Amino acid sequence: MPNAKAQDAVMQLRSISKNYAGVAALTEVSLEILPGEVHALLGENGAGKSTLMNVASGTVAPSSGDLLVHGKEYSSLTPALAASLGIAIVHQHPAVLPDLTVLENIQVALSSDIFKGQVAEKLGAEILARVGLKISLRQRVEELTIAQKHLLEIAKALATQPKILVLDEPTAALGQDSVELLFSLVANEVERGTAVVYITHRLAEVRQVAQRVTVLRDGKLRATSLISEITDAELLALIIGRELKSSFPPKHTTTADQKPNLSVKGLTGDGFTNVDLEAFPGQIIGIAGVVGNGQSELLKALAGQREFTGTIEINGEEKLAPQLNGRAALMPADRQREGVIMRMSVRENASLAALKKFKVRGFLSRKVEDSTVQQTLTSLSVKAASQEAPVSSLSGGNQQKVVMARALLSDPIVILADEPTQGVDVGARAELYEILREASARGIPVVVASSDAKELEGLCDTVYVLSRGHVVRTLVADENSEEKMIHAAVTSTTQAVRIERANREQASGEKPSLRDRFSRFMKGDYAPPALLALVMVVLGGYIFTLNANYLGAFNISSILILVTALGFIALGQTVVMMTGGIDLAVGPLAGLLVVVASFFINDESPLLSILLGFITMIAVSIVVGLVNSSLIRFGKFTAIAATLTTYIALGGFAFLLRNNPGGYINGGLAMLITTKLGPIPAAFVVLVLATLGMEFLLRKRRWGWQLRAVGSNEESARRVGVKVTRTIIGAYVISALFTSLGGVMLMAQIGIGDASQGVGYTLTSITAVVLGGTSLLGGRGTFVGTLMGSVLLIQVLNSTVFLGLDQMWQYILQALLILVAAVIFSIARNRKMAIKQA
Amino acid sequence: MAQISAVQPSKVSRVQISKGLLTVLVSTGMLFLLSALLAPSSVVPGTLLGMLPFAAILGIVGLGQMLVIQQAGIDLSVPGAVSLAIVIVSHEPNGDNSKLFGAVVMALGFAVVAGLLNALLIGVMSLNPIIATLGTNALLFGAVLGISGGTPRTTTTLLAAIAGGISFGIPNAVFFVLATLLVVVIVLRKTVAGRRYEAIGASAPVARVSGLHVKTHQGLAYVWAQLLYCTAGIVLAGVTNQPTAFQGNAYMLPSVAVVVLGGTSLLGGRGLPAATVLAALFLTQLDQFVLALGVPYAVRTLVQAAALAIGVAIYTVDWPRLRASLKGLLSVEKP
Repeated sequence: MPNAKAQDAVMQLRSISKNYAGVAALTEVSLEILPGEVHALLGENGAGKSTLMNVASGTVAPSSGDLLVHGKEYSSLTPALAASLGIAIVHQHPAVLPDLTVLENIQVALSSDIFKGQVAEKLGAEILARVGLKISLRQRVEELTIAQKHLLEIAKALATQPKILVLDEPTAALGQDSVELLFSLVANEVERGTAVVYITHRLAEVRQVAQRVTVLRDGKLRATSLISEITDAELLALIIGRELKSSFPPKHTTTADQKPNLSVKGLTGDGFTNVDLEAFPGQIIGIAGVVGNGQSELLKALAGQREFTGTIEINGEEKLAPQLNGRAALMPADRQREGVIMRMSVRENASLAALKKFKVRGFLSRKVEDSTVQQTLTSLSVKAASQEAPVSSLSGGNQQKVVMARALLSDPIVILADEPTQGVDVGARAELYEILREASARGIPVVVASSDAKELEGLCDTVYVLSRGHVVRTLVADENSEEKMIHAAVTSTTQAVRIERANREQASGEKPSLRDRFSRFMKGDYAPPALLALVMVVLGGYIFTLNANYLGAFNISSILILVTALGFIALGQTVVMMTGGIDLAVGPLAGLLVVVASFFINDESPLLSILLGFITMIAVSIVVGLVNSSLIRFGKFTAIAATLTTYIALGGFAFLLRNNPGGYINGGLAMLITTKLGPIPAAFVVLVLATLGMEFLLRKRRWGWQLRAVGSNEESARRVGVKVTRTIIGAYVISALFTSLGGVMLMAQIGIGDASQGVGYTLTSITAVVLGGTSLLGGRGTFVGTLMGSVLLIQVLNSTVFLGLDQMWQYILQALLILVAAVIFSIARNRKMAIKQA
Repeated sequence: MAQISAVQPSKVSRVQISKGLLTVLVSTGMLFLLSALLAPSSVVPGTLLGMLPFAAILGIVGLGQMLVIQQAGIDLSVPGAVSLAIVIVSHEPNGDNSKLFGAVVMALGFAVVAGLLNALLIGVMSLNPIIATLGTNALLFGAVLGISGGTPRTTTTLLAAIAGGISFGIPNAVFFVLATLLVVVIVLRKTVAGRRYEAIGASAPVARVSGLHVKTHQGLAYVWAQLLYCTAGIVLAGVTNQPTAFQGNAYMLPSVAVVVLGGTSLLGGRGLPAATVLAALFLTQLDQFVLALGVPYAVRTLVQAAALAIGVAIYTVDWPRLRASLKGLLSVEKP
């Protein structure tokens, strides 16, 4: 239906085609998006809806066709360009950063212009209030429910005041109140003149919000129409009716009086509720529904790999999860990740679950394995160069047959196939159907989940339609048709399973009691430093009662001067660990820098030489930081491999410069560096100030959010516009620069160029950082904690002297410190996870 | 169903040579060739007899580290483990050959305990392997100092004869590494548990979906590794006449280096035992070669770093793509 107001369109997609490795995802699709109206995009899974919107928002470049935005022509967009044109997209999977707080997630994703002249907390609260999210701004996003994450994602998109807003199945995870709120928000946007594109599977929603609707099928445009001019039946007819591409084996004819071989009652778990299933020998059971409505979770539970309540009976015997795991054969939907081991051979993949069969006198017999696997592969007519060919060299269909071979070889008590024919060519599809039928005929219960309703119609005897985790329709025998399945799935009005809990949590979040606040503090970043402070005071107090000299000026200043060198290096290590990396090179770098200094900064050196010395130290540090990060980002080294290489090399350079200790450091300068203000070394004051400065940057500035965003989830960070490579390179350079400060302290303490010094700081700095509560996985931690960790570490070593303990105790105390701290932090974190999943 | 050319039973030799093994094999061959040409003193029988035991010990330690790294872990408790084994087998008998056997059993017992501690912390409590093994390492050194007080004692004559001796013109340590290699290969390739272990390393998600106990295997990796470090420590105690309490420190970085050079990815994957052992020979001979050239210690270290960098880059860098983009750059410049 050509539009009269075409010239008003804010965006026009013109003849967009997109091919993935020769497979057409979109073919010549044209779409006009008008201001002030909601344009619904309908279609089955794989119809091309999301691909089309990824083209519109710049994450996918079209193979051909172009875009017209605000009257200007573009051949393709980038996410940044799309954002500057006022295009905002709410992805189906929220691009949120789990380790950052709600407010930080908003701040890192939005341009700083929006926050200019505003109090961040106030604006943040307003942004959340608009979508009705009652959560604390300081809460970590990790603790949010999926629905809350979706709302946060919508809130971020609305806050940019977009001209074009794309919502990709926004209601999939939302409860009824949130859905209604979303619709009113969309209505507001439309009133403001925003063009809204609304991707969905649900006809009811289309009627409720949209003015115009476009239906896609198999990557082709079926029709565009005003919603008032088209009936539900017409829409349904446009959505379904894919051409039948493969042939199906004949169905099972039920013989009466048989007992079911699979009987599931009241099965409830994460993602599905109160599911009843029943299968008789020879029957294939289908699970229909839109992807992500609990099918995969249900199959994993049936395979004993997810927790569940309710009963599963196979051949009349009740089976618990441990009895199912390993005995039930699960063919996962994500074949690339969970189905086949790409680097291994066809044989190794096929025999994985049946190895015990090949045992002869305790050892595996290759002869038995080869012939058994061969037999199965032949019976499934797997096409491969040989058994030893890597499975990655096979076509999708043959890879799936290898997964099937693994399932059959393991003599399963039930076969659970999740999207068994996704990415499989037509010929292999028919063969896979045949194989499933044969297995079923042998009495093994077979359950197939598929988003392809046509497939379930052709293959299955009974089909259960799942919507948001509930069985909304059971289709037996003649009722089993594509039309009925899609009708049930798209017209269902069930609510997502997780909603009730979300509401409860929201309610409890309104008025934090003292206990809530305490538990929030314990989950927060500042619990570890507080804990360390407590340990330090108790330890210090105990030793003081034994020996009053412990708190004497001499001991305090000698402890603190040792802390400074470690503290600076550990601060640098913390920056790298925030990104999820590790810098093993800090120790040797500190040592090398002292050696470098010993050539410039001597007793007789003129001022110029001393200056040159410091400049050289800084230059060397920057180069080392750049080398480390380049190896990681461009050479694709792991952080350990990269910094291990520089670790060894830096040690080599140090010895190259000074094979034997030599070059006395300028005494006056050393005195200056170790100047004390009372018992406190001036350098320690600098360290404290640096720590506080870094902490401020980490919490309150874009740099800090970006740093933690990269460590928290690199992919999401990229999607919210963080320049990942630049951030990581920066982190390693900053780490090296802090190490150079540590090197200066070390230089003043050692007083001579000695290539063998400094190496130990690598492990000590890691220990200090871990003690401070910074996660080695990246994304969370504090600089304050690192400082406290450094002080505690030195304090413990020092206390062994006062307690008259020998070197053995130094090691044991250090070990206990790190292990106890790691275990406590890990338990605190895991409990939080457990609460989230409960 | 039409029977189209289905899978052919493999007629090729069953011993396949991996890319890692081939790379190390060629590099080692070239290194010995270079040694013979440029520094003949590094390949005379005397030097080789001195070098081989240390290559063998590094090979055994490397095999242990490989078992951990192939499960996407890393073990920083190598120094403590090797040192503790040395200290137990040299201090407990204190020169008395009859007490050697008991000491060896005791050392293995300690190794199992240390391994189980790592397994508990990493496999059960899900601690980061770097932190857990760092802590375990400090505990092991606590034990080292508790047993020895930090002073060395002389190896028993029996251990010196067994581990440091020469049979059929070959240092006994070489037989130890070959036996260890054989056991590792047979267990990994010929037993149910070993094959599962390999599959879990190659893809934990696939293994989990197939119903394997992923966490258990990942944790137990540290026990197997400790047993190998312990073996290496015992052999090392026999090879060196008066081993120090901190001898293990020298094996931390090289243990990771040989695994990486052997082609096992630090992100986990299939372990390459033979390539790892060969990489240990390569690294040790590289040291001998550079030493024979008369260059200072510093240069030897730099050569090691370069070898490691090249060794990693061979596997990580996408060479065809790099070549293509370089070609692209050149062709842009031409017109």
